[in-house]
Amino acid sequence: MLEIKDLHKRFGDTVALDGVSLAAAAGEVVGFVGANGAGKTTTMRIAMGVLAADSGQIVYNGAPLGVEQRRRFGYMPSERGLYPKMKTAEQIAYFGELHGMTRAQARASAAALLEQLNLSDRAGDFVQDLSLGNQQRVQLAVSLVHDPEVLVLDEPFSGLDPIAVDVMGTALRDRAAAGAPVIFSSHQLDLIERLCDSVVIIGNGRIIASGTVEELKAKEVKQLRVSVDTDEDLTGRLPGTVTRDGDDYLVEDTDDQEVLRIAAAAGRVTHFAYDQPTIAEIFREAVTR
Amino acid sequence: MSDQTSETSRMRGLMLVAGREIRVRGLSKANIVSMIVTVVIVGILAALPSFLGGDDADEKIGLAGTGADAMQTQLDAMGGFDVTLFDSAAEAERAAEDGDVEAAVADGRVYSENGLDSAVQNQLDSAWQAASVQTNLGDAGLTDAQIAGALTVQPLESVTFGDDSGTDSITGYFTGLVISIIMFMMLMTPVQYIAMGVVEEKSSRIVEILLTSLKPWQLLGGKVIGLGVISLVNLVAMVAVGLGVASATGMLSDLPPGTASAAVSSIGWWLIAFALFGTLAGGVGSLVSRQEESGSVLTPLIMSLTLSYLGAIFLLNAPTSTFAVVLSIVPPFSGIAMPTRMAIAEVPAWQIGLSGVLLALAAAGALALGSQLYKRSVLYTGSRMKISEALRRAA
Repeated sequence: MLEIKDLHKRFGDTVALDGVSLAAAAGEVVGFVGANGAGKTTTMRIAMGVLAADSGQIVYNGAPLGVEQRRRFGYMPSERGLYPKMKTAEQIAYFGELHGMTRAQARASAAALLEQLNLSDRAGDFVQDLSLGNQQRVQLAVSLVHDPEVLVLDEPFSGLDPIAVDVMGTALRDRAAAGAPVIFSSHQLDLIERLCDSVVIIGNGRIIASGTVEELKAKEVKQLRVSVDTDEDLTGRLPGTVTRDGDDYLVEDTDDQEVLRIAAAAGRVTHFAYDQPTIAEIFREAVTR
Repeated sequence: MSDQTSETSRMRGLMLVAGREIRVRGLSKANIVSMIVTVVIVGILAALPSFLGGDDADEKIGLAGTGADAMQTQLDAMGGFDVTLFDSAAEAERAAEDGDVEAAVADGRVYSENGLDSAVQNQLDSAWQAASVQTNLGDAGLTDAQIAGALTVQPLESVTFGDDSGTDSITGYFTGLVISIIMFMMLMTPVQYIAMGVVEEKSSRIVEILLTSLKPWQLLGGKVIGLGVISLVNLVAMVAVGLGVASATGMLSDLPPGTASAAVSSIGWWLIAFALFGTLAGGVGSLVSRQEESGSVLTPLIMSLTLSYLGAIFLLNAPTSTFAVVLSIVPPFSGIAMPTRMAIAEVPAWQIGLSGVLLALAAAGALALGSQLYKRSVLYTGSRMKISEALRRAA
């Protein structure tokens, strides 16, 4: 369990973080969402120890996070970087060793990742000779090479092609399935919705919403949508406030079982459900609130 | 986590960084080619004095006829001649013609294939004159003792008005020159590579990933050690080849005493000077975020290296002057000046000791300053940082 507790950070007069707390339990994938400048990167950099917080702390498995434990984390910073004049496989293995692997382990892991990322034939090439997309894949390999216990990834999907997005998504789920807490930020809300167990929304340095995907959706539940196969207009007959959305009826403030009984009597009910907001809608709602 | 394990992992981190520098930079084609070229140049430079000194083999001279014995005595006294006596002038002439001897002197004639080198000609002339005078005096009835007395002449004593304790040996000057050039090169190159490497990691933001598993001192220290090892290998190869060639060509024995030890001790001076300049280069390199800006922050370091080098060259012309003494004691100039001075003149032990201690103290100071600068500014991106600003920042 990785807990980020009550972080405060100022840059000069700008308050970047104002009491940010979030947590990722073992095996949980947490999506970290927020507008540009909301504080996602600052939070993640503090969690990874490359930036000092003014106050607050990072707790891992119940104790303050130390350097040795952090070495077993996997991190992808928002601004990517690799040694341009170092060979691909050598570079991935080097990072494996830095994270405490033996040379043999690191090499084997690098080779396996390159295989998985379809880069085996580029293993001996300098990173600067790879296309940008392939460099992104190498960056991904660098953050995964040491089989990390925790993943903290800042915009891991940006700039990835669909295949790499799949590889990345699978890697995240695999790490979580193996018991690792995973935190990643993204602007691709469909990916967040698909991959995450819970979502944390940050705005202006404060957490403005958080919870499991279901919880967030439940909070934002909208109208009951009913679709009935009939020529009859049911607007006047259904209880509560009724509006039309195309052929559908949107019903609010009433007993849904009563609505179902009336609709079923009128014809075949083809759709009967509460409209669920997408994460994108929840996000827009949250940041504009 | 026990202390022992974290100690091991600290050293391991340092060594991994150093190892990467050695693999990526030291084993690069560019470095290997430049090392081979430099070593070959040093080898040639070391052999050069013996080439310039010419062929040291004795001149083969044949002698016959009157005065041959007296002339042999003269030539033996001059040295550098391998004299063969022939029974007749005709035999001597034939030996010269066949090339068995360089020249043959018989009955007032010099026989040679194509004329003689003017130095050899002069020596033969003066030997001939001396021998003739001796013969004439003998004919005039003087005893051998009287002749010897008459021929004894004190050679001119040379008095110069300049600093006569200066170099009397062109080879000492030459060795000092080579040492100062090599020291300068072997400091300049790695210092620039360290700064470039720091800026490379900073500008590519890779430093952000590195610092999640390394401490800043490991990253800077590993880089300095890595480039230090590469340069040390280069330096040791140069000194070994230089001394090896010099001893093979017999030059070593002609050099002033202590030259060989000066060459070897220059490795020690280099180590301290490198620690000083290397860590400072890493520290100031971390102040900038782009490669184009690294030149401006490196200028003070490059200036002081260049001044050290120019000072050392100047010192070669006046190795016992106050300037030379001061320059070879005050850091950071002493790093190049002291081994240069040691190659050309006797340096009192206390000066060597004082210079070494001061340089080591300066290096320790540089280590502290460089690593503080680095620690505080390596993760800062944006425009160039001032040193004072970096030091005010919390690490």
